[in-house]
Amino acid sequence: MSFHSIKKEKSTVNRSIKTVLDLNIGQSGNIVEIKGGRGVNQRLSDLGLTIGTEITILNKSPFTGPVILRVRGSSLVLGRGIAGKIYIRY
Amino acid sequence: MKTNYKKIRVALAGNANVGKSIIFNYLTGLHQHIGNWPGKTVEKAVGSVYFKGFEIEIIDLPGIYSLSTYSIEEIISREFLLTEEPDIIINVVDGSILERNLLFTLQLMELELPMIMLINQIDIANEKGIRINFTKLESKLEIPVIPTIATRGIGFTKLLEKIVEIALKKDGVVHKKISYGQELEFQLERLQDAIKNSRILSSYPKRWVAFKILEEDELVLDLIQREKEKPSRKFNKDKENLNKETEIIPLSKSIIETLEEFHGHSCGELITSEKFGKINQICRDVQQIEAIQKISLRDLLDKVFLHPVLGYLLLIGIVLCLLYGVFFFGDLTSNYLLNCCENLRPDFNQIFGKGKLSEILWSSFEGFMGGITIALPYILPFYFILGVLEDSGYITRVAYLMDRFMHIIGLHGKAFIPCMLGIGCNVPGCLGCRIMERQRDRTLAIFVITLIPCTAQSIIIFALIGNYLGFHWVIILFVFILFLIMILGNLTSKILPGEPMGLIMEMVTLRKPNLKVVLLQTWFRLKEFLVIALPLIIVGSILLKILELTELLGILNKLLLPVTVGLLNLPEEIGTALIVGITRKELAVVLLGSLFGTSDLATVLNPIQMIVFALVTTFYFPCLATIAALKRELKWRKTLLILASELSLALVLGAIVSRILFVIW
Ligand SMILES: Nc1nc2c(ncn2[C@@H]2O[C@H](COP(=O)(O)OP(=O)(O)OP(=O)(O)O)[C@@H](O)[C@H]2O)c(=O)[nH]1
Ligand SMILES: [Mg+2]
Repeated sequence: MSFHSIKKEKSTVNRSIKTVLDLNIGQSGNIVEIKGGRGVNQRLSDLGLTIGTEITILNKSPFTGPVILRVRGSSLVLGRGIAGKIYIRY
Repeated sequence: MKTNYKKIRVALAGNANVGKSIIFNYLTGLHQHIGNWPGKTVEKAVGSVYFKGFEIEIIDLPGIYSLSTYSIEEIISREFLLTEEPDIIINVVDGSILERNLLFTLQLMELELPMIMLINQIDIANEKGIRINFTKLESKLEIPVIPTIATRGIGFTKLLEKIVEIALKKDGVVHKKISYGQELEFQLERLQDAIKNSRILSSYPKRWVAFKILEEDELVLDLIQREKEKPSRKFNKDKENLNKETEIIPLSKSIIETLEEFHGHSCGELITSEKFGKINQICRDVQQIEAIQKISLRDLLDKVFLHPVLGYLLLIGIVLCLLYGVFFFGDLTSNYLLNCCENLRPDFNQIFGKGKLSEILWSSFEGFMGGITIALPYILPFYFILGVLEDSGYITRVAYLMDRFMHIIGLHGKAFIPCMLGIGCNVPGCLGCRIMERQRDRTLAIFVITLIPCTAQSIIIFALIGNYLGFHWVIILFVFILFLIMILGNLTSKILPGEPMGLIMEMVTLRKPNLKVVLLQTWFRLKEFLVIALPLIIVGSILLKILELTELLGILNKLLLPVTVGLLNLPEEIGTALIVGITRKELAVVLLGSLFGTSDLATVLNPIQMIVFALVTTFYFPCLATIAALKRELKWRKTLLILASELSLALVLGAIVSRILFVIW
C-alpha cells in the first residue's frame, strides 16, 4: 500500500477507521496504521502485525484489561495502551 | 570422552515455545526447563549426542521472533548464530502457526549457514485442521524439512541422519535467495556493493547486513561507526578504503529516506511486510486449513479461563486449593515423619552414648530429617502443581487476567509469570525476568520477586503459623504480605525512571499437560533442593551444635540482643536462627527446635513472636542463592540497594507489628 493511498483513505473514509479497542469480540478488520513508536512497531510487525494484515478479536477484558487477537494463525495478547495504537479498517 | 569422533555443532533456533528445549532434552538427555509459555530458556545450553561416528554438539537457544535486538533473548541468540557460526542451524517451527514462524526462517536463511527445518507439533496442527505439504515446502525454500512430534519423540532419527548427511557433504550448500519487491531488491543491491569493500562488514553475510542497515539495526550501525573511526590511525594505507567505508552511512541514509518517503512506514516495517507477503504466498501453496465446525474442549476451557468473572473466581479457587492442599498434605506427612524421627532418639542414644560427639552426630541427623520432613512434603506437591499449570499453558492465561493488577505495581501481565516461578524459588524467578523487554521493568520485577515468599519461606509460615495458630492465620499473613508487596512495588515504580512498557505476549495453545514432562520437571526441581539445600542444612546443624557446645552461640546471641529482644521483642535465641536463615530460609525454622531444645515451639514463642519472626524472615534478606542471582542480573550497586532497603524494611515492619499486635492481642 502506498503512502498516497493511506492519506486519501484517512481523509475520505474516516468513519470506518477505528482502533483495535473499538472492535467487539469476533469482529475482524485490516490494519491500516500502527502508531506505537519505532521499537513497538518493529516488535509488532515481527509478530505478524503488519499493514494490511487481517486480525480478529478473540477476547477483550472489560475496563483496563488487555485484548487477545488472532493474527496469522497465532493468538496475541496486547495491553490496552498498545491495542489503542493499532488502527483498523473494517 | 570419545576422542575419535568427528564433531558437528548444531544450534536449535526458532520462535518461543515451539519445542526447542524438549527436543534438546530428548537428544542430549539433559534437562532444560520445559513448559507451555514463551520465554523459558533465557540462556544457551550445550549438550551432546553421539550418532554414526559423529559427536553432535547441540546448542539450545532462547526462543525469539526475529533477528533484531529488541530483547535480551534476541541479542543472545543472534550473537551466537553470528559469531560462533554453528555448522548447521536447526530451525524449529511450530506447525500449527506456520505463517508467523516462517518470518524467522526467512531471516535465518539470510545468514547463509546450512539449515534444517523441523516442523514440530504436527499433532496439534492436525487437531486444528491444518495440513502441511512438507515436500512442497522443502522445494520452495530449498531446505530439508522434517515433521516431528517432540513430545512423542517422533522424527528425531530422521533429524540425526540428516545432520550427518549434511556434515558429510563436501561441497557447501547452496542458499536460496528469496527475492522481494523490485525496488527493495534494487536498493539492497546498491548497499551490498558498498558493503563488499568494507573490511568488518564483509565478514558477515552481505545480504543480511544490507537488510540490517535498512532496518537501522543498532549493533550493525555500531560496527560501521567503529570501522569508520579505526583506520584514521594508519591513515595513508587505507585512505581508499576509508572513503568506501564512509560511503555506507550516507548511502544508507538516502536509501532509507527514499523508501520511507515512498511507503510512509519505517524501513524495518516495510521489510517485514514484504517478507510476510512472500510467506503468505508460500503458505497458500503448502498449507491447507479445514475449518473445524464443532467447538473444541480447548475453546470451551479458554472461555472459562479468560472469562471476566469466572476466570477470576477460578484463579482464586486454584490459589486457595493450592495453598490448602500444600498445607494439608505437608502438615500430615511432616508430622508423621517427625514422630518417626523422635522415636529414633532413644535407640540412637543407646548406640552412640551421650558424649559431645554423639550430640553432634545426632544434630546432623536431625538437620537431615528436618530438611526431609519439613521441606519435602511442602515442596513436592507445590512443584507438581506448578508443573501442571506451566505445561498446560494456564500460566499465560493468568498473565492475561493479572495484567490490570500488575499495572498497580508499574508492570504488565507478563511479569506475573516470573513472579509465579518466584513463588517456587526466587532464583528462577529472577532469571525469568528476562522476558521483560525493558531494563526498568526487569529491575522492578526482580525487586518484587525478592519480596515474594518462596516455598522455603512459605515453609516457615506453614510450619510455624499454620501449625500453631491455624490455617486462617496463614491466609491472613499471605494477604498482608501481598498488600505490602503491592504498596512497595507501586512506590518503587514511581521512583524508577522511565515509562512502563505495554503488554505484548503470545497466547499459547492450551494443552493437556504431559505427565512425563511434569513429573520430570518436578523431579529436577526437587533434585536441586536435595543437592543444594539439604547439605547446607546438615552442615548448618552441625555448625550450630559446635557453636552451642563451645558457647560461642551465647556470645553471638548477645551481640544481636538489641535487635532481637530490643527491637523485635523476640527471645534472644532467635538471633542465631536469623543469621543462619540467610543461607537458606527453611534452615531458620528447622533449627529453631534445636536452638530452643524443644520441638514444641509453642512453649518458647508466643503467637505474636511467631508472626513477627515469620514476617521478618520473609523480608529481611533474600537467601544466598537469590543474592547471587541478583548480582548476576543487576550488578552490585542495585543488589546492595535492594538488600539494604529490604533489611531496614523487615526491621521496621517487625518492630511496628510486634508493638501493634501487643496492644490489640
Ligand atoms: N502436543 C505437543 N506438544 C509439544 C510438542 N513439542 C513441544 N510441545 C510442548 O510445547 C511446550 C513448549 O516446549 P519447549 O521445549 O519448552 O519450547 P521452547 O521452544 O524451548 O520454548 P522457549 O524456551 O520458551 O523458547 C511444552 O509444553 C511442550 O510439552 C509436540 O510435538 N506436540
Ligand atoms: Mg526452551
